Amino acid sequence: MAYSERLDHMTEGFSLAQAIDEAGRCLLCHDAPCSKGCPANTDPGTFIRKLRFKNVTGAIRTIKENNVLGGACGVLCPTSRLCEKECSATGIGLPIRIGDIQRALVEHSWKIGFKPYAKPVARSEKVAIVGSGPAGLACAAELAKTGVRVTVFEQRAEPGGVIRYGVPGYRFDRDFLEREIEDLRFLGVEFACGKRIDGAKGAKELLAEGYRSVFLAPGLWKAVALPEGKGISGVLDSASFLSMLRDGEVAELARRFEGKDVVVIGGGSVAIDCAESAKKLGARDVYLVYRRSFVEMPAEESECVVALREGIHFVMLNRPVGYSADQKGLLSGLKLRRCRLGAEDGSGRRSPEDIAGTDWILDAQIAVEAIGSVPDGADWSAEVKTDGRGLILADAETGSTSAKAIFAGGDIVGGPGLVVEAVRDGKAAARSILEALAGGAR
Amino acid sequence: MSAASKVDLSVSMCGVEFGNPFLLSSSPVANSAEMIERAYEAGWAGVCYKTLNSGRMDIVHPSPRMNGYDYEGRRLVGLQNVEMISDRPLRDNLADILYLKRKYPDRKIIASIMGFSDDEWGFLAKAAADNGADMLELNFSCPHMSIEGSGYKVGQSFHLLEKFTATVKKAVRIPVLAKMTPNITDMTEPAIYAKNGGADGIAAINTVRSISEIGLEDFVAKPNVFGLGAVSGYSGPAVKPIGLRFVAEMAQCGELGIPISGMGGIETWVDALEYLLVGSTTIQVTTGVIHYGYRIVEDMIEGLYDYMAGKGIGKVTELIGKALPSLCDTGDFDLGRQGIATYDLDRCIGCGQCHIVCRDAGGQALEWDAARRRPRLIEEKCLSCMICSFVCPVPGLIGFAEKPKSWKRLPTPVKDEGDAKRVSIEPN
Repeated sequence: MAYSERLDHMTEGFSLAQAIDEAGRCLLCHDAPCSKGCPANTDPGTFIRKLRFKNVTGAIRTIKENNVLGGACGVLCPTSRLCEKECSATGIGLPIRIGDIQRALVEHSWKIGFKPYAKPVARSEKVAIVGSGPAGLACAAELAKTGVRVTVFEQRAEPGGVIRYGVPGYRFDRDFLEREIEDLRFLGVEFACGKRIDGAKGAKELLAEGYRSVFLAPGLWKAVALPEGKGISGVLDSASFLSMLRDGEVAELARRFEGKDVVVIGGGSVAIDCAESAKKLGARDVYLVYRRSFVEMPAEESECVVALREGIHFVMLNRPVGYSADQKGLLSGLKLRRCRLGAEDGSGRRSPEDIAGTDWILDAQIAVEAIGSVPDGADWSAEVKTDGRGLILADAETGSTSAKAIFAGGDIVGGPGLVVEAVRDGKAAARSILEALAGGAR
Repeated sequence: MSAASKVDLSVSMCGVEFGNPFLLSSSPVANSAEMIERAYEAGWAGVCYKTLNSGRMDIVHPSPRMNGYDYEGRRLVGLQNVEMISDRPLRDNLADILYLKRKYPDRKIIASIMGFSDDEWGFLAKAAADNGADMLELNFSCPHMSIEGSGYKVGQSFHLLEKFTATVKKAVRIPVLAKMTPNITDMTEPAIYAKNGGADGIAAINTVRSISEIGLEDFVAKPNVFGLGAVSGYSGPAVKPIGLRFVAEMAQCGELGIPISGMGGIETWVDALEYLLVGSTTIQVTTGVIHYGYRIVEDMIEGLYDYMAGKGIGKVTELIGKALPSLCDTGDFDLGRQGIATYDLDRCIGCGQCHIVCRDAGGQALEWDAARRRPRLIEEKCLSCMICSFVCPVPGLIGFAEKPKSWKRLPTPVKDEGDAKRVSIEPN
């Protein structure tokens, strides 16, 4: 089926030959600045040098030893504002396409059957990880490498969290994720899928069952909803929409979207994903509505450009003020009010101000709200300190919470962040957990 | 076009006039009239026709017959081949030469020949001359001949080389070039033997005996001819410095004093000009054509033309040997004059490669300012090796400037002065 083909698979990345070619442009900097630009300590200066000197397996090892999700980060990372932003080659031309090289090397390892990890020697200690998104997986890998017995609890049917259920398949597909999760299984990580650890009580039970530490990385799975959409048929939220896409409900969605006019509300990467997915599902016109202007959009510029080229209409400087529906309660349009940019707000961006008397209706039969996400209702506050939004308070360097054996990281601590930031949190927590285990043995 | 219209690219070599100095060398790129016709249309002034074979011995090419040598993604930096002389019947080759001379009387054909005996040399020379060849080139240098008394083994046996040259000279009246092998220490010596045998000019260099690559799975050198590899001829940009050296040495040899057709790694007008500057009258190309096709001659002609027009040089012959007067022995250098590298740091992009190479291969003269990501030169430690400038990605950022006579370079310190005191050296 065409829409499934458009939705479920990533386009091909660099071949190894292309990666070598691109690496040929690298200046092999002293004290490589790219290697300082990654939250998860990825070291492109070293893996690109290894590739240049025909040490291909060594290059793969450098990536994967540092980050079990090295492939995922190569695909999903906004490299242009991380490692590639630091690239010295920018001074004489374009930065090296580090993410593309990284992805190609990881894919090459699968092609040649190269295993970057040694089989760990098993230890007796058990650690539980709640949530199988990037933070959980990164933490699991770091622990498993030392022989710790790791069980990852995942409420959904398959592991991956946001990179399985929160990102469309054309950006990061199932096969790619499966191959990378294979490395975790090789390290001995066990997955308990379909098992929800529901808040503080669940965490406490895990400790009682003999898990020496618990790492909480459940992510943010509840979408922020506009109150005006309540009870109107045709209004979706980004989290459920993207989950449905990955949960075998593509055919049903395609039936609902085909030929329809769709409006997506929001200016971040998730909004772009929703708009593109709607288009790929066969929607006629897809509008992306954002209250500020193009330059304030949190989405990456490169993905915005792709969306524009795919025919998404960007409606900037317009704020939703309500929905219109027909007598049967079916969505008929989005009520918008034109805005202008006013003074800077706390985020350093100019905030939108209403222009009086400019309300209008954008006709649409489907609306997708992509305006943020929050914890999904599990309450951790009985065991660990949380803030007013339900986010867990944890130390950024160590992942420690207010409870001794409980650590936390990823979006549940920092709010919506990058995959690579979640990986950083997972690695940091693993280090702390290993220290705690060593302390306990003494 | 006013300045350019005065530029004259024509040269005369051994009494034969060439419209420009650019010729195809004897190889697969000059295998038949069908091919050479297209080369002529592209602008080549002449060809050295692929070495004729008399038919007394069957010529069968090994398969596969070439291997490309790549460097960091650049294809064909070098090329190894186990190509034989022409496998076409002599009659077919001569018919093609007749055709080319009839259709393109102004383009010149140098017929390459190779005999395996004295009378075969004479026979081939006469056959080529009788069928329109303007000149002959004696192949004393095919680098992968296994038969004694042929190919580069002749080039290494000077008396044989002189004898075969004399035989050819007796058989024909057209000019004769002797093509030399670089698989030898000093090329001037066999060249003088060729001259004594009557050679009117020299062609050099043939390919360099080599092993370009070894298969890591089968441990067989490439080209892998059904499980076997062999030492054979290497050509392409990688050999240009070697070719320039041999040509220059022969051009500087007063006793030799005959014109040279230079070759080895030429792809652009710059390469060709360098061969002219060290004393070549014509230049020949194969590997450049194997890589890019005949079309590259258009850029050789136009590039040299514009260079000469820009310099106000009217005749290309003015350039021949122009680099020779300053080409001396290293012992002639004025060591009293010293300089150092200079840095235009406003243009620096902070890659730090200069720091790495100076630290690990130079004079440890470049400190690294980590915060600003810039090198800092300690002038007195600069060796003026200039390796920093070779790795710097910004063209022209690193230059060279002479220091005053009073300037002194710091000696390389010993690691521990205590050890220096303990050193014992027997008196000489």
